[in-house]
Amino acid sequence: MPGFEAAGAKLYVVSYDEADALADYKNAHGATFTMLSDPNSDVIRSFGILNTTIAEDDHPWYGIPYPGVYVTDSDGVIIEKFFENNFTVRPGPEQLLAALRGEEVALQERSDSDAEVTVEVEFEGNSLPVGISRQIVARFSVPEGMHLYEEPVPEGLVAASIELDPDLEGIVAYTAVTPKTQSITLTGDGHTLEVYEGDVVLRLPVAQNGRAMTKDEEGRWVSITGRVRWQACDSEACDLPGEQSFDFRVPAGFTVMADMGPGEGRVPPMNGATHFQKMTARH
Amino acid sequence: MQIERDKRGEELGPNQYEDAEGYIAPLPAGSGPRSNPLGEFPTGPAIGERLPDIVASASDGRSVDLHADRDGQPAVLVFSRSVVW
Repeated sequence: MPGFEAAGAKLYVVSYDEADALADYKNAHGATFTMLSDPNSDVIRSFGILNTTIAEDDHPWYGIPYPGVYVTDSDGVIIEKFFENNFTVRPGPEQLLAALRGEEVALQERSDSDAEVTVEVEFEGNSLPVGISRQIVARFSVPEGMHLYEEPVPEGLVAASIELDPDLEGIVAYTAVTPKTQSITLTGDGHTLEVYEGDVVLRLPVAQNGRAMTKDEEGRWVSITGRVRWQACDSEACDLPGEQSFDFRVPAGFTVMADMGPGEGRVPPMNGATHFQKMTARH
Repeated sequence: MQIERDKRGEELGPNQYEDAEGYIAPLPAGSGPRSNPLGEFPTGPAIGERLPDIVASASDGRSVDLHADRDGQPAVLVFSRSVVW
């Protein structure tokens, strides 16, 4: 993963696989990251993330973690983590690199007379294979003295959010990544609300479930449509709510499948069926 | 914390089962490799905590101490189900 090296970070993958299975995987995929073998799930247990819904005699499934990703700073302190209920989905590298970088927002300098919130919305990545999440990113520039609201908000205010169209098929949204907030207390009713100030970046991980791809001569595509909403206020008054819709047409890409048997040429071969049998037999 | 599996989803055809988010796989949602937790589940140490120490064998058999090995660099640590299946 050259992107991680370029970011000055090291990538580790822990699983309950035997070391020889990891070696075969590494060889087959040309992986350069460090793969760690935890066949007795000791590391997984020490993190408290053993999947306890699986019975101890249910091999080979017993011993897996609730899969997820931790991102640390250079002191080894966790600065972000990504865990979702659905194991089919894992964060793509763009998402992890964004967490590593933190938010270095490079927005255009605003002029003093420009008192409007501006927002830029992008889909970060060049494809959306089934099961890999990538992020819709909304970068707001909020004038000094103004703020946007974090969810939830009382009726009458609009929180800053990225929302998919309710009738959009085939695209699933996951847990939004949002910046730090400040607390403010409303003068009227004494309500305390959490607000964003300055340059504000919201990220919504999305993935596709394979059910809404379209095909043409150029390939397979998914459409991601929705809107970014917000409302900017200062200590005395609020602007009208703002809204910007988005419509991204993204190549569907291809998911790298596991090698579980004869399928020459389709997936990188790594003796998957043999390793699977060994894992099923171990106790 | 007693955690249940998410078994929501329909059979769509032979070896085709969808889960609550519409993903299709050959086994029903809530079975074997699709042991997704329903609702909240443990996600380990919190943001702001130091990543716990990890010493484990790498694919080449050498023992790796993650914090020593990262040598002052930030780390991305992925817990995967399996690279085999």
